[in-house]
Amino acid sequence: MERDVVIEVKNLKKTYKKRKGNEIIYALNGVNFNVYRGEILGLLGPNGAGKTTTIKSICGLIKPNGGAVLINEIDSNKSRLKALNYLSAVLEGNRNLYWRLTVRENLEYFVGNRGVNRKNEQGRVEELLLYFNLKEKENELVSSLSRGMQQKLAIAVALSANTEIILLDEPTLGLDVETGYEVRELLKRLVKEHGKTIIISTHDMPVVQDLCERTVIINNGKVIADEQVDNLIAFFDTRAYIFTLGEELTSQQRISLTENYPMCNINFNEIEVIIEKENDLYKIMDILKSEKTVIEKIDRSIVDIEQIFLKLTKEGSKE
Amino acid sequence: MKPFWFLLCANVRKEYIELKRYYPNTLSLIFTFYIVFLAMLLGIHVIGDPQQVDTNVQYVIVNYIIWFFMLATLQNLGYVILMEAQRGTLEQLFMSPAGMWRILLARLIAGLFLYGIIVVFLLILSMLTANQWLFFRVDVVMPIFIITTIGMIGVGFMLAGLAIIVKQIQSFLQILQFILMGLTFIPLSTAPFLLIAPFVKGVDMIRQVMIHGFIWSDFLLFDYLSLMINSISYFFIGLIIYFKCEKTALERGLLSQY
Repeated sequence: MERDVVIEVKNLKKTYKKRKGNEIIYALNGVNFNVYRGEILGLLGPNGAGKTTTIKSICGLIKPNGGAVLINEIDSNKSRLKALNYLSAVLEGNRNLYWRLTVRENLEYFVGNRGVNRKNEQGRVEELLLYFNLKEKENELVSSLSRGMQQKLAIAVALSANTEIILLDEPTLGLDVETGYEVRELLKRLVKEHGKTIIISTHDMPVVQDLCERTVIINNGKVIADEQVDNLIAFFDTRAYIFTLGEELTSQQRISLTENYPMCNINFNEIEVIIEKENDLYKIMDILKSEKTVIEKIDRSIVDIEQIFLKLTKEGSKE
Repeated sequence: MKPFWFLLCANVRKEYIELKRYYPNTLSLIFTFYIVFLAMLLGIHVIGDPQQVDTNVQYVIVNYIIWFFMLATLQNLGYVILMEAQRGTLEQLFMSPAGMWRILLARLIAGLFLYGIIVVFLLILSMLTANQWLFFRVDVVMPIFIITTIGMIGVGFMLAGLAIIVKQIQSFLQILQFILMGLTFIPLSTAPFLLIAPFVKGVDMIRQVMIHGFIWSDFLLFDYLSLMINSISYFFIGLIIYFKCEKTALERGLLSQY
């Protein structure tokens, strides 16, 4: 079934000039992807890959040098304010809120700040306080809340705008395991119960594996993968192997393996590796055979999104 | 118009809450105003010309209030940008579909409204304490003051635009108050070229009302026209410069930098 596209990122380009000298940095170099209605999309990439620039370009906080971002077919570059009617965001860090206002005051202020009647939105504010378990804290100053509570409030503030699309830049950064889990469950509920479309930019791979249907991986300002998370895992699952050896590898074998397969993990008598071509399996066996190393068994390994991410970004960097 | 009204209400409420929450600041502002008004009401009698005591007191107090509001108008928008950038909330404000310039305008009006209430209340309190009463034509002064303020808002937008790009303009904003004070005290008769400067014409007309007792009909059509053209021009030039600066900041990705 064809799904509605709510965001189209088309050949997005963004360059910056270095402060000293005339060197030009390509933050985004032709980024293309779509976001479909009601999905949670994970935007991944190493530091400096262009994730935040992409998020901010979608939010209209950065003007690209080329390409376009269409939000419900509205070009955000040409009609920034009109496009902003469809999205809200929680940007990176814990400073999205007014620390000297209370939880309720923050929610009410940001509702009013979009030109909406605060009194008509009281129901929504109440609903959000309950939904995010913030009712008990509604009259407390944001400065007195824990990092997790602040993050939940920041998401609640983004939701108070009642927009169809929500962008979250590192939503679980700095949260403890329990709060991180709570935030993830909340996001799942938002999509399931309210039909929101969510884009998450994160380094937190378990979040991606747990929450996202699809992931777009960016490296060096380019999209290097745009695939369903399940498909990616299934694809790499068929290429991941564990070799159990009868003895330890020689240093020559170690060098040879790591040079040819940078993603391989070598532990005493075990090698975990993701291969690219079926032929690679024989090549690894040749390396082992060269020193007459005994292979006790070869198993298929289970990969996670973190390994896939590392493999793809390392390959991207080599190119 | 309705969305702007809601935006204005939200900002009046926020400014009011912050006045309460940062109460040491607010109390020191109230105390300073009260002391200054009292000193003016009582002190001028001691050092002023006895023949012109009433005119002196009225003129100095009104001039002081005008200077304060002009300064508040001029600096407010720049400070809003700096404070929001420091707090990290600037980008959130830029994400409002209402538009940042409307939020800034709403903040400014909210601030002037709340300060207006405080100043009027303190002025009445000071007059009661000193048992000295000011008599001047509010109906003539107020419209001139409001029109003059429109031009000042334009200059405020220019500074806000500068603050978005440069961020470190606190020192410049501090120096501005002295430039402003100088402009407030120069009569147009001695420096006619200042007619094109912001707010000088308005202050000059208020001076005529306060000292020479001018009323509406005493001013020439030229006075009204030059006041209005000056204010409206500065307002729109200020907005245009602000939009240019906003565009530059978006192009260079400067909103998150501080």
